[in-house]
Amino acid sequence: MSGDAVVTLRDVARTRGTEPDSFTLEVPSLTVYQGECVALTGPSGCGKSTMLDLLGLVLEPDRAKVFSLRGHGDDAIDVAELWQDNRVDALAAVRAVGIGYVLQTGGLLPFLPTRDNILLSPTLLDMQENDLVDHLIDRLRIGHLLRKKPRALSIGERQRVAIARALAHQPALLLADEPTAALDPVHAIEVTELLLELVSDLDATAIIVSHDWDMIRSLGFREIRAVPMKRGAGSATRFEG
Amino acid sequence: MTKRRRHPGPVRQLRHAAALAWRDMLHEWKVSLCLVLALAAVLAPLLVLFGLKSGIVSTMTERLKSDPRNLEIVVKGNNKLQADWINALRARQDVGFVVARTRSLAATTGLRGPDGQSAPNTDMMPTAAGDPILPATMPVPASLREVVLSHTVALKLEASTGDRVDAIVSRRYQQRSEAVTIPLTVIGVLPEAAFVRDAVFLSLPLLIATENYRDGFRVPELDVVNGDPPRADARTFAGVRLYARTLDDVATLAQFVRDHGYDVRTRAKEIETVKAIDRVLSFIFFVIAGVGITGFLLSLAASLWANVDRKRRDLAMLRLMGLGTGPLVAFPAAQALLVAIGGIVLSLALYAGVSAVFNTVLAANLNRDEFVCRLYAGDGAIAALLTIVFALGASMVGGYRVAKIDPAESLREL
Repeated sequence: MSGDAVVTLRDVARTRGTEPDSFTLEVPSLTVYQGECVALTGPSGCGKSTMLDLLGLVLEPDRAKVFSLRGHGDDAIDVAELWQDNRVDALAAVRAVGIGYVLQTGGLLPFLPTRDNILLSPTLLDMQENDLVDHLIDRLRIGHLLRKKPRALSIGERQRVAIARALAHQPALLLADEPTAALDPVHAIEVTELLLELVSDLDATAIIVSHDWDMIRSLGFREIRAVPMKRGAGSATRFEG
Repeated sequence: MTKRRRHPGPVRQLRHAAALAWRDMLHEWKVSLCLVLALAAVLAPLLVLFGLKSGIVSTMTERLKSDPRNLEIVVKGNNKLQADWINALRARQDVGFVVARTRSLAATTGLRGPDGQSAPNTDMMPTAAGDPILPATMPVPASLREVVLSHTVALKLEASTGDRVDAIVSRRYQQRSEAVTIPLTVIGVLPEAAFVRDAVFLSLPLLIATENYRDGFRVPELDVVNGDPPRADARTFAGVRLYARTLDDVATLAQFVRDHGYDVRTRAKEIETVKAIDRVLSFIFFVIAGVGITGFLLSLAASLWANVDRKRRDLAMLRLMGLGTGPLVAFPAAQALLVAIGGIVLSLALYAGVSAVFNTVLAANLNRDEFVCRLYAGDGAIAALLTIVFALGASMVGGYRVAKIDPAESLREL
């Protein structure tokens, strides 16, 4: 892979719980380059979501030699230092500007209609209206849903709206936690393809968690597989790539 | 397509958070309405309780405590009191009202009404401005020609305000019976409750003039030229009408007069009863208000706290999308503020209705400027402020808890 690194991790670890029930996530080295689509795979409970939380700046690492994040053309942000200094609002700002999230069940705000859910990040960031949102709505074929609230949408519709919402503020990095887990296989592939297409349109980078190996391989993700390990009395997983 | 963006400042974020909070409330308008109703359901009765306390309870205890019969210190017998001593008494802080009086035997008169009806042996009571027996709105007899009649006397004479009545004062002078007729104008009639016996209230100079007449002097101010020349020595008074300022002053004032060698009588037993009633009512109110306020604040805090807990998921999502701690806490706080304001407005409206009913139905028991139920603006403001502070406090603590837990943890609950 060529180009700039968007995410760089060296010797990052996080332990949850106490022995003998503890779980440790270790990342000796991980680099994701601009424009890449990476899939974190592994069996259920192996720590994929924990890994995504670390990358999404919502879970504090116990240890991080290097943890940096680079947005579009911006200087790399030293996330390790922000965590060390406990600057949670600075981390929130990095999340707001640079990262888009698609959660398993959408995570749309129930009190806003589709259109305002999609415009939430741009609004919170005081962004000017631009063609991007229309483009997303058009490509995801959700134009007829704009006035409906999430409750009135099907699960598939919600996931498409969630993708539009995650990309509307042009984040450098898209994080998606099993975005198609609730969909049937045909829709799952279709939605994932769309997601990849839009990420590429936006010149962004995507990291998704999935347990659907077939789909991951057929769509050309770079796969980073969880490697289970033994650490004392607890369990541990390593991601490297 | 790429461009640099900055994270907006906290003030803009707060505005966005408040706008979202408002839209959430509209979306869940039924829940919002329930919160407002629940708040008003507890606050309105509290306001009515405070209203009754400031209204009827205070009015009644105030009436008991300011009843002149309980405040009076009766100086018994006929004494020789100097005017200076009475003036010194008037200057005391614990004296509510004092006026000199003449010998009690000399202080009766016969009265004749406008149509000839008579009232013999009516007590003449000296009065002056500030007399607790006279209603505050009633004019005070000042000249030698003005009197206020007690209710029973007015009935006997069939006289009312503005009528002319005659006082007939008699004496024996040089072995002959004489009488002088003093024409008087009735400037007021006391309500029945103010004074139950037959009495005519008049100015001290008029009372002194009648005593001088009875003692055989000539009294030019009553057009009496027959009699001894007026005495030259400083005159003394047989007694005083003396009232303490408050119930608590009665005992010390009575002791003061007693210490000067005069025999006094007070209604110590009745005073003790009144004080006991006041103490008991105050204590009952204190307990009910204490329980009510505690319950109100707890239920307010509990329901708003639960509201924040219910929204953990949405708040976690907003946090994930980059809302800082302040704006995140502002979201439930703005909702709590709106609930509090809605609840206060509704409570005040309910209170206004209830107090209007009280004041209308029970108006007969009250004087013109008394209320059964009244809420002072200050009390209302304190209630409103306390409500808002607790609403904000509970929701902000709840919101802060959501902000403090790892967003990841709340997201896993999705």
